Amino acid sequence: MLRIVAYHKAILAGAAGALVWEAVLRILMLLGFHSFDVVRELGTLAFPNGSAAEWWPAGIAAHAAVGAIWALFYAYFFWARLDWPPPLQGLAFAALPAALAALLVYPQLRLMHLHQDIAKLDWHMFLAGLEQTRLGGLLLGHALFGLTVGSIYTHPVGYPATRQCSTPPTSKEPRNHSGKRVPADGRFIFATGIECSYPTTEQGRWRRDEMAATGHYRRWREDFELAREVGVTHIRYGPPLHLIFLGPGQFDWQWSDEPLAELERFGPEPIIDLCHFGLPAWLENFQNPDIAAALAEYADAFAKRYPWARFYTPVNEMYVCARMSALDGRWNEQLRDESAFVRAVVNLASASIHMTNAILAARPDAVFINSESSEFYQPCCPDDDIQQTAEFENERRFLPLDLIYSHDVSPRMRDHLRKHGVGDEQFAWFMASKPPKRTVLGLDYYEWNERLVSGDGRARALGELFGWYVIASQYWERYRRTLMHTETNRADAADASRWLWRQWHNVQLLRSAGVPIIGFTWYSLTDQIDWNRGIEKPLGIIDPVGLFDLNRDPREVALSYKHLIDAHRDRPGYRECKAVTEVIG
Amino acid sequence: MAIFLSAHGYDPGPTQRPLIAGALSGVVATVPAIAILYLFGSLSVEARILRTSELTTVAAGVPLMALAGAVYGYLFGRAANDVRGGWLFGMAFGFALWAAGAVMVLPLASGGPTPAGEAAIGLFLSLVAWGAALGSVHPFVHRPLHENIEAAAKRSEVGPSAAASGPSR
Repeated sequence: MLRIVAYHKAILAGAAGALVWEAVLRILMLLGFHSFDVVRELGTLAFPNGSAAEWWPAGIAAHAAVGAIWALFYAYFFWARLDWPPPLQGLAFAALPAALAALLVYPQLRLMHLHQDIAKLDWHMFLAGLEQTRLGGLLLGHALFGLTVGSIYTHPVGYPATRQCSTPPTSKEPRNHSGKRVPADGRFIFATGIECSYPTTEQGRWRRDEMAATGHYRRWREDFELAREVGVTHIRYGPPLHLIFLGPGQFDWQWSDEPLAELERFGPEPIIDLCHFGLPAWLENFQNPDIAAALAEYADAFAKRYPWARFYTPVNEMYVCARMSALDGRWNEQLRDESAFVRAVVNLASASIHMTNAILAARPDAVFINSESSEFYQPCCPDDDIQQTAEFENERRFLPLDLIYSHDVSPRMRDHLRKHGVGDEQFAWFMASKPPKRTVLGLDYYEWNERLVSGDGRARALGELFGWYVIASQYWERYRRTLMHTETNRADAADASRWLWRQWHNVQLLRSAGVPIIGFTWYSLTDQIDWNRGIEKPLGIIDPVGLFDLNRDPREVALSYKHLIDAHRDRPGYRECKAVTEVIG
Repeated sequence: MAIFLSAHGYDPGPTQRPLIAGALSGVVATVPAIAILYLFGSLSVEARILRTSELTTVAAGVPLMALAGAVYGYLFGRAANDVRGGWLFGMAFGFALWAAGAVMVLPLASGGPTPAGEAAIGLFLSLVAWGAALGSVHPFVHRPLHENIEAAAKRSEVGPSAAASGPSR
């Protein structure tokens, strides 16, 4: 699959483009403008001697169909290639069909209109077919077509935040359903995940839904079978909170019942991800102090409905969520304000604690995997301001985890929190709420997690400078909690196998240093949509980071991951993993 | 388009066999194409232009279309497996073949004569239909030809040595 295309929009745009062309050019022709009449040319192919009542409907239908096909071509190959306003993208694209029409199609149409079977073709036909005014009409028609297509074809992924996603989670049985359950208990966790982000953009008006965009709602049975085929023991899985939690006491479980029943029966064992970068429209955004109580209600209902589910991530990547929503202005509340960031962190951490308590009440032996982005900021140079910025960022990265793990912060950070509205009483509440025993710190790592604070004070991605081993060690030293590598992938598909094995060797080295690590994750099972742009703009561009592409054909990294799992899963230390039994026990 | 496809890797997928799948799909897709050529009278016109029989024209056309199908599988790689968009990619490929083949190569190969009238319409529609059929059937023809993941995962190049990027010493 090349790109996510909204077929209905593209077809509508193409047909509309053809109609606008016809309307404007027909009026101009009635006013005496001598133009190429594409509708007549097409219509009279079907009705060579027909009246206008015969050739016009045939011609306009054919032109609308051709327009729809061109618009689909635009959607697949051209849309969002240029960072221009959509109408101008459409206008630029229209140069291609215009050139083909002038040089190729027009001479061929003349051939097709001949009343003979064979004609002599010469170069003159290609180059001297159109008079200037007729050529002008052709170009004007294409320009109108391009502007119309470009104006209509936008937002190929996502849907209005106030509207329910229209595709119910139905999925056909895959042809090769093995029904084979991968054993998981007490073993080292080899995991993957279904990418499930659902933030809003455009000031809360537009909902991104990665599960919808990647086709998971239609193909979940196949996805789970592919995960089993690779041999993973666990799958990070986030049922769509925004579609399930419709209001206080209102839940639409059709979005999770069948997929979770399949996972319960056949595996892999799910690590339930309850809140992944977004909220239902009625809860607004992460500035809302009521989200903790509301999400606790959801967690309680969820744990009671699926009492067999054992692994939970109450809130995914709190730091990233708060940063993208309230500091970088990209999702949800879309603010760029330190106080808003602190408020989002506090609300997210509070939600995580309340959700954890709600789940524990229903399932006392639940295991909590608090996935967080492992971050590091390196100062570029011995400049005091740069050094201080890096120090502050390196402290701020810990803030959500400090709050949920009751880890005290430095006096400087405490002052910072006070300055941005976190009172002593509220802070004391966090410090007093001890995390449960079965808690695992999940650390996600990508090539952009290490950043250089450069001379202008901005942070830029460094690539893999120190690596997961060093960064994870910093988190281990701070919290002394069992770890799991909960996300990694590589944007360059050709380099993904190398990256996988290098990440794995980081995990092995940290384990050999005595750090308890329960698992490793390649995230995600399939390619993702628009993540190279932080899913900020609804473009539908595919990031080839999955074990499988969106046709569900394996990438090389799927073979490498299977190789890795097959080589390790029955080895001592992996078949019975002490860190896992200690957490579950 | 080349830049666009590069985002997905030019590899057609480690378990895939795009050339054989493309060739088989190309042959399957000749069925509607030949039917259209026949219905519009284009087949006899082409045979007359090439100074051969209709049967020979078809017999020569089928392996050519198999070759064209293999080229399609090679060029489009992973994208050719897209059930939803395959018909469009195939149709675009068929259009390109029409533009290059029917409009340029056939007249030049035959010294200038080219199908006209209904025969030209039939030739155009047959190649567009061939492309659409090629792109539509390719994912389904390809699927059973895939190498098994279990076996492919045993290859040494996907194993631990993939971690190293430098030469061995």
